[in-house]
Amino acid sequence: MISPECATLPTLLLCSVSSIAGIVGMLARSVFLRRLGVWLAVAVFISQSLMLMLGFHKALPGGLSLGAYLQLFAWFVLLCGLIVWRKIKQETPLLFAAPLCLMLFAMSMSFLDAAVPLPASLKVPFYALHIGALFLSLGLLAIAFFAALLFLFLEGRIKSKQRTQGFWQDMPAIVLLDKTNALTVLTAFPLYTLGIVSGLLWAKPVFGASMTGDPKEVVSVVIWLIFAVLFHNRLVNNWKGRKPARFVVLIFLLCLFSIVVVNTVMNTNHAFLRG
Amino acid sequence: MESDIYLVGLNHRTAGVDVRERFALADHCDQEHWALPCEGGIHESIILSTCNRVELLATGQGDVAGQMLNCWANARGAGIEDLQPYIYIHKSLEAVRHIFSVASSLDSMVLGESQILGQLKTAYRKAVACRATGVILNRLLHKAFFVAKRVRTETAVASNAVSISYAAVELAKRIFGDMHAHKVLLVGAGEMAELAAAHLLQNGIDEIFVANRTFSRGQQLAEQFHGHAVPFDKLTELLTTVDIIITSTGAAAPVIRARDIRAVLKTRKNRPMFFIDIAVPRDIDPDVNALDNVYLYDIDDLKEIVEENLANRRDEANKAKKIVNEEVNFFAKWLTGLDAQPTIVALIQRGEQIAQEEISRTLRRIGDHDPKHRAALEAMAGALARKFNHDPIMFLKRGSMSQEGSSARISMIREIFNIDNISV
Repeated sequence: MISPECATLPTLLLCSVSSIAGIVGMLARSVFLRRLGVWLAVAVFISQSLMLMLGFHKALPGGLSLGAYLQLFAWFVLLCGLIVWRKIKQETPLLFAAPLCLMLFAMSMSFLDAAVPLPASLKVPFYALHIGALFLSLGLLAIAFFAALLFLFLEGRIKSKQRTQGFWQDMPAIVLLDKTNALTVLTAFPLYTLGIVSGLLWAKPVFGASMTGDPKEVVSVVIWLIFAVLFHNRLVNNWKGRKPARFVVLIFLLCLFSIVVVNTVMNTNHAFLRG
Repeated sequence: MESDIYLVGLNHRTAGVDVRERFALADHCDQEHWALPCEGGIHESIILSTCNRVELLATGQGDVAGQMLNCWANARGAGIEDLQPYIYIHKSLEAVRHIFSVASSLDSMVLGESQILGQLKTAYRKAVACRATGVILNRLLHKAFFVAKRVRTETAVASNAVSISYAAVELAKRIFGDMHAHKVLLVGAGEMAELAAAHLLQNGIDEIFVANRTFSRGQQLAEQFHGHAVPFDKLTELLTTVDIIITSTGAAAPVIRARDIRAVLKTRKNRPMFFIDIAVPRDIDPDVNALDNVYLYDIDDLKEIVEENLANRRDEANKAKKIVNEEVNFFAKWLTGLDAQPTIVALIQRGEQIAQEEISRTLRRIGDHDPKHRAALEAMAGALARKFNHDPIMFLKRGSMSQEGSSARISMIREIFNIDNISV
């Protein structure tokens, strides 16, 4: 059995080396370092998966802590980076996912003990649907966010007829970045919807009502509405390029606000820092 | 130095195309154009003859440059005086620096182009096949190839397009990535547009359509690119399927307007379009670039990119020159080391000879002797000779490392040890 305590440090170390190799590889335009970054990210994912399967759940006897939440999110971000890498044959989103995973993983270390108690009856479906669907959706959104930022920068330069120099020349073509955006958004929205609906359903037995006016609920519904506009226009009105990229940036920033500010600062049923 | 390196030549800077044509040397091994027979003062030679330069590189003694010029002029049925106004002559390290610069494409008409390295490699292969190269030129050319590789990998002197057509292809790649599964439409039949289309085809573009006001000319062009000719009035219809549009018609007013493209975009579900307008006056309404998912570059935009890329290459050339200078210094050390080599060999041989003579004399004096004693004496004499030679050899090697005073050190050692057997 691998306990989370002894697997955390090697995973963190692997993730750091993967992030450094990927970033240095991109900046120095070294194919070898970029590949190394990619394969180390694969190793990080395997290590994280082992942690989750063999011991991570044991660290959460009382429910879900912010630390565990962040580590799960890190795992999903990397998973989505790997999916996009295999699907679109582009390593750049994965090389961006590795440092984000590192950041989330490093942040998680200080919050592993602060757990939110959950009724025992809701633990399994809660993990499987609400958290699973939302985290997969957030992981995909993280990848879409990086692809959108890259798209807006590179497309802006092409449109304004400015040269791209140095390592920017190695970045994916803008059509591929838009394809990444489309793939992630079209997959993430149904998952996000599933996560929200399952949350509303379980809110009733746990908190007494589906909608209680909780800040997390309000922010999540606002995000869902904006997300729905993007999903609809991508699918029905064939939105491509700048508009969906800007929407993704906005949605992901709102998600970050929801995770970082709402969950920690506001008085909500989703607060992680409560005893 | 017994043998020195010489380079005589002319290039696009010193001679016009008519002169370059007149003095071109087609093939080193071609008997009719046999330019540098390895005889007289010339020990080794290579001829590099391209459309932008003719250069003769040789090693030898005496008036090597004069002999090279004479051979060259004779081969082309001219006199030396016909060549003189256009040529440059480099000797020793300047010749080395020049050949390194040529291999690295720092002396090319288009800075950083890659063709010259291939041409130099071909010239070297031919010279090797003719057995016209030796220790120095073999080493020099291999070093030149190494320098060219270093320059390419450590600087950006060869990066980015420096022609309008390549710049257009690079932009298309930045937009679409893989060129497969994308279609090109040529509107009109300008030379530059054809060139861009040819480059796109080389990069794997899926299909080419040609729309020309004169349909027969369009058909002709379509055949050239294995594409399809389409009537000019079907242009807007075709815009819904093609991704890259190159225009070069002689029309006085724009043939493609923003309002047409708005409708086209809707039909093609907002898939990106890249317009390359090479015509003057322009064929495409500049407002087209303001539309989402549409990118328009006209001839001035592309020229600007090419100018910027050229300026960037010029900046990178300064870095490349530093690499060349570094490598010239390394080569110079190897060359001076080569100078000291005969003296070192002579010193060792002299030591061995003295040791053998003394062993024979001693053994004669001893008379009957055990083979073991002979072996011991030989070992001792050999060791003495080696130890005695160690300091002078190190003195010579230090000279070759520092370069300055190398020949003075060689002369001093030769004189002290009387290597040249001069009776006093």
